[in-house]
Amino acid sequence: MDVLLQAIVNGILLGGFYALMGMGQNIIFGVMKIVNFCHGEMLMVGMYLTYMLYTYAGIDPYLALPLVAIIMFLLGAVIQHTLITPSLKTKSFTNLLFLTVGLGLLLSNGALVLFGSDYKSIRTSYSQTNIMLGPVSVALPKLISFLVLIVVTIALFTFLKYSTTGKQIRAVSQNPVGAEVCGINVRRIYLLTYGLGVALAGIAGCLLTQFYSIYPTAGASFGFRALIVVVVGGLGSIPGAFFAGILLGLLEQMSALFISPSYSDMIVFITFIVILVVRQLLIMRRK
Amino acid sequence: MKKLFKAILPFALAATMFAGCAGGGNQESASGTTESGTTEASGETIKIGTIYAMSGDKAAIGENILRGIDFAVEEINSQGGVNGRMLEVVRGDHAGDAATGKSEAERLITQEHVDVMMGCHMSTVTEVVAQVCQQYGVPMITAISTLDKLSDEEHKAYDYFFRLCPLNSVYVEDMLKYLKDSSQQTGEEIKTVAIFTDKAAIGQELIRCVNLFAADYGLEVVGEVDYSGGAADLSAQVLALKQMNPDAILCDSYVSDATLFINTLKEQNYKPKMIVAKANGFTDPSFITNLGSAANGVASVVEFNSDLTNGSEINKEFKDKFGVDMNGHSAESYTVVWLFKAAIEKAGSTDGEAVKKALSELVIDGAFEGGRNIVLPYSKIDFEDEYDLAGSKHYRDNTSASVAIAQIQDGAWKTVWPFEFSSAKIQFPAPLE
Repeated sequence: MDVLLQAIVNGILLGGFYALMGMGQNIIFGVMKIVNFCHGEMLMVGMYLTYMLYTYAGIDPYLALPLVAIIMFLLGAVIQHTLITPSLKTKSFTNLLFLTVGLGLLLSNGALVLFGSDYKSIRTSYSQTNIMLGPVSVALPKLISFLVLIVVTIALFTFLKYSTTGKQIRAVSQNPVGAEVCGINVRRIYLLTYGLGVALAGIAGCLLTQFYSIYPTAGASFGFRALIVVVVGGLGSIPGAFFAGILLGLLEQMSALFISPSYSDMIVFITFIVILVVRQLLIMRRK
Repeated sequence: MKKLFKAILPFALAATMFAGCAGGGNQESASGTTESGTTEASGETIKIGTIYAMSGDKAAIGENILRGIDFAVEEINSQGGVNGRMLEVVRGDHAGDAATGKSEAERLITQEHVDVMMGCHMSTVTEVVAQVCQQYGVPMITAISTLDKLSDEEHKAYDYFFRLCPLNSVYVEDMLKYLKDSSQQTGEEIKTVAIFTDKAAIGQELIRCVNLFAADYGLEVVGEVDYSGGAADLSAQVLALKQMNPDAILCDSYVSDATLFINTLKEQNYKPKMIVAKANGFTDPSFITNLGSAANGVASVVEFNSDLTNGSEINKEFKDKFGVDMNGHSAESYTVVWLFKAAIEKAGSTDGEAVKKALSELVIDGAFEGGRNIVLPYSKIDFEDEYDLAGSKHYRDNTSASVAIAQIQDGAWKTVWPFEFSSAKIQFPAPLE
């Protein structure tokens, strides 16, 4: 029983990261209809950024969080402006695919050149602190990360639902041409969306640094799971991505507990494929 | 069709010529790397060919190996060389590639006329270099290639090839020996083990070897827990281990997973009493740096450690010279140079056949003549012509070779086993804090 509780808590905390990554990917996909294949690398950039702020400026990772988010937002906006917007005009999916994949390779190899291949980490006075909640043991940094995730989700949801800019983003996501006709500056919205998505990956990276090693390919396994979250959670939906992320984390832990840790990856991907097929069938029947 | 062929032919010819030129250029620059180990050579030198990675991503490993060789050559030459002749190191660079290794071996033998050969770091390269050496009758010793099959039935005929280091499966067998012996110090018998490792080949090899030897040491394998390398999370794996509750955990992981594993142990409030790793990520320098005190108590296989009884003295001199500690690779390659010295003196010449015969008959017991005690964690070197290892025949390995086990104590690796080579005591249960 204790083990089950522990596994559930582990699953939810792990799922939080998948959710954060998925939300970033989802907002980009929802608005621009492009898959950001360098999302995992953006997470890695966020990690190195936090690492540099911590080692060279002595800024605590949690205090650095807003700073990392802002820098990553700017980075995203610049990439959108200089690379993606011109590429969008070609209306070619392959073009964008190669662009984001190539960007990912550039970022991870750039990190390799700049920081070397050795594994770095941030250790603060509290990074190895554990809290006992009854029979369940929780690492303090993971708990804080989860709280940050909830705050970010609520803030993002409110922003999209009630603010003018949020409404504009949703309008562009539903119908870019219509939005443009109504006088919305679509290019500005694209800039904002991509920046926001990248900032979310940066936040996830910043939160991860306290218990995960920092290395050039650190984002790979998270980036891939973000794609699952997007597909399962529904395109463009923030609450959907949130719950899909948590669900994915739970699924991994539960399959490891009840079947075997060796098969948990396989089970996750089989479930993913089943969901895709079932949904496709449902859509076809509706038609 | 014919027309097309005619049109393409000149280009194809030009391309092959160009490729030929490029190859030639490479070879020239490679010969440029030849360096003499000594400047005051009297008479003709004895040439030791070395084939290690000096460029590419494995270059750092090659550098450590060559340091050990240079150190030994300098020691021997300052004592007057071998049979009055100085030693000279002729370096080849395999750059981590088997084909390059082969051409380098041919160059060293046919152009540089090396008398004996050392290499390589990667077992796949070692295999092809051994073929070349066999073909030309040049004795070769590998200091560090651990792949079991290099000395198996298939390689029986390679009688110019000898291996100093322990085999992969011996590494694992020594881990189990350590578990059994540890009760002498801890007073607590280890009866059950679980394996925690990567799904990749390194992990499968560990699982295979542990199951091969476990029964011999009275150990029961209660479970195997694996994960995909570069894992995002290992809490499920740690929970599975916690449920199995083995007396000891054996592991082999790359450094990111190794670090995450120890962090997750703490997070899941699980303190296994004993963790023994098969080096790899656990002995990476960043492992201790990144984990700090949480790493205390983790034990690992090491080929050499600076506090080994016979190694601390040489390590000090080595560090004075190169600024870094001697590692397993440099200690093993150092030993091979001394082995060649002993064999050539015994043979009385550098003739390949004579040296080969001397090597197979050679027994070093305790210390080298005119040199130090064996600096590795064993006291005898003897190449067994033929022996049996876990049911299969092997040839010309140093069957006395063993590894040591070191444990992280207060943030530094301390040798704890074999007991006769160590001064530190096993910390049990592992504090992990």
